[in-house]
Formats: sequence, C-alpha cells, structure tokens
Amino acid sequence: MSTEVLVFDILAVVAVIAALGVILARNPVHSAVALIVTFINLAAIFVMLHAEFLAAVQLLVYTGAVTVLIVFVIFLVKVDDLPEFYGGNPVQRIFALLIGLALLGEVAAAILTRSAIGASDIWTAEAIADAGGNAEVIGQVLYSEYVLAIQITAVLLLVGTVAALVLARPASATLPDRVKRTGLISLAHPRGADREVAAALPAGLEASRRGETSGVRFDDRGVILVDNAEAFTDQTAWGGDRLEGDD
Amino acid sequence: MEELTATHFLLLSAALFIIGMMGVLTRRNVIVIFMSVELMINGVNVALIGFAWEQNSMVGQSFALFVIAVAAAESIVGLGIIMALQRRIDTIDVADVRQLRE
Repeated sequence: MSTEVLVFDILAVVAVIAALGVILARNPVHSAVALIVTFINLAAIFVMLHAEFLAAVQLLVYTGAVTVLIVFVIFLVKVDDLPEFYGGNPVQRIFALLIGLALLGEVAAAILTRSAIGASDIWTAEAIADAGGNAEVIGQVLYSEYVLAIQITAVLLLVGTVAALVLARPASATLPDRVKRTGLISLAHPRGADREVAAALPAGLEASRRGETSGVRFDDRGVILVDNAEAFTDQTAWGGDRLEGDD
Repeated sequence: MEELTATHFLLLSAALFIIGMMGVLTRRNVIVIFMSVELMINGVNVALIGFAWEQNSMVGQSFALFVIAVAAAESIVGLGIIMALQRRIDTIDVADVRQLRE
C-alpha cells in the first residue's frame, strides 16, 4: 500500500466519521463543528487530486463562509427545545439504517464494477505546470468555454443576496398588503430629511400629516405610502427636479 | 488497491452523499437538514474532481467550482428561509411546517 493510498484512507475515514457526526449529533453546534472537520478533510483530498484552487475555495467558501453563516443562524434561532430525529421507534431506525447501507452497497457495486473510462484530456500534471498552474488553467477554461455560465452564476449570486435580504427582513419592515408602496424611499439622506422635502409637496400630503385621510400618509420611517394610484400621480418617485425647482 | 484510483474517490463520494441523504431523511431540525444537504453537495464535488483527476481534465474542476458557487447561493437563501421560518411559526422543526397541507 503506497503512502498516497494510506494518506487518502486516513483523510477519507476522518471525513466519513465527521459526516456521521454531523447527522448523529444531538446538538446542532456539534454538527457544525463536525461539518468543518469534513470540509477541511475534503480540502486536503482536493489537494491530493491536483485541484489546489478548489481546495482553497473549499476552505474559503465552506469552512470560512457557509459554516460561520450556519453557526450564526444557530445563535439566532431558538436553541432550547430543538427537535431531533423522526420517530422514537427503534425498529424504524434500524430499518432506515439498513436501507441506507443497502443503497450504499448498490452504489459501491456500481463503482467497483465500473469499466468504461473516458479518453484522457490534455491537462496532465506537466501540461498544467507548463500553463502556469492549476488556478491559471481553471481560469483559462472558465473564461473561454464557460463564459456564459460564469455570468449566469454572477446573476444567481446577486439574486440570492436580494432573496436573503427579503427573507430575513424583520417583520416590522413588512407593510400591510393593501398599502401600495411608492414615492419617496431614499437611501441617500438620513431619516427625517424626507419630511423636509415632503413639506414642499402638495396639500394632500399635508392633510395626511395632520391625520386627515387623503390616500397619502407617512409611516414612522419617513416613507410615503399611498392607498390608491390617483393619490400620487403628480409626484416624481424620487422627489426630483420639479421639487427643487419649486424651492 | 495498491494505486490510488478514481474508485477510492467515488466510494468516498458515495459514502458522503448517502450519509447526507440519511441526515436529510431522518433529522427534524432544519439547520441539521441544511448541513446534510451541504454534505451531499460536497460528495458530488469529490466525484467531479475525482473524475477530472482520472481523465486529466479541467471540466470537472470547473463544474465543481460552479457547484460551490451555486451551493453558496443556496446556503444564503436556505438560511434566510430558516430565519423566516423561525419568525413566522416560531419553530425550526420540519414536522411542524405544514401550512401548505392544511
């Protein structure tokens, strides 16, 4: 048994034991720590597979970002009375374990009897070294063959960020459904400045600030809310040129 | 198995994937289910990179990079959903999440 195989075996066994720890630990924080161990072992295995760049990305993205995010969420959600497993019935658990092992045996049989191996590509270790290393070669491949996919991934990450902002928004920021939101929502100047601008707006707003219902009103964040489209038709959305001209 | 072959990596990949799958199926805590999904994704990555290594190809590594990027987006949204779940129904037990059924 060569040293390479021995090192791989150690890494793989530790990774699998840690993975079992993830799904068996009662405390989610223990699960998260076991997950970090798995990720670090997998990063080492990626290095063995001559995927140095991916090993670095694995450490940065998974152990660095995703796990920290998970631990933060564990902090933020209610820790006591956390649910554990389905079904207290031991027969059910043994049955689940057997099904899992059967599935593993099935896949292992498929892997061990695998015979078709595709033709070798050009990126041998020497070719990669000549081209300047693993990261350079991945960059060349990504930005030549997969340019469109890279750009779609960028859009996906942007959409994911926006989705996370919407999902994790506090409940107080959620407005009643019947209120149509439009008008002055400015990120550029501090809260309260909107009211000064709004002082220049027509009488409908003033009426609403005095408590009279005209379809236009303020909420406590300085955002103008309108109940119907007619109430706001002659306003520019950002309180733009026309307002400054009035001054 | 004297030499290191792709079979080693594929077996590790299968083990990680099935462990993750069992976690998804048996746990009730959404956070642990989420971690199990991450395990499955990593199992797939090991297979992709193992195949790439076997065939001296860069395609597998590129795909693994995309998988990591998509998994990052997925984790952002997934954890956002967990936060929303906690806020709305005050639990992260998937057995209690059945608004769609009722």
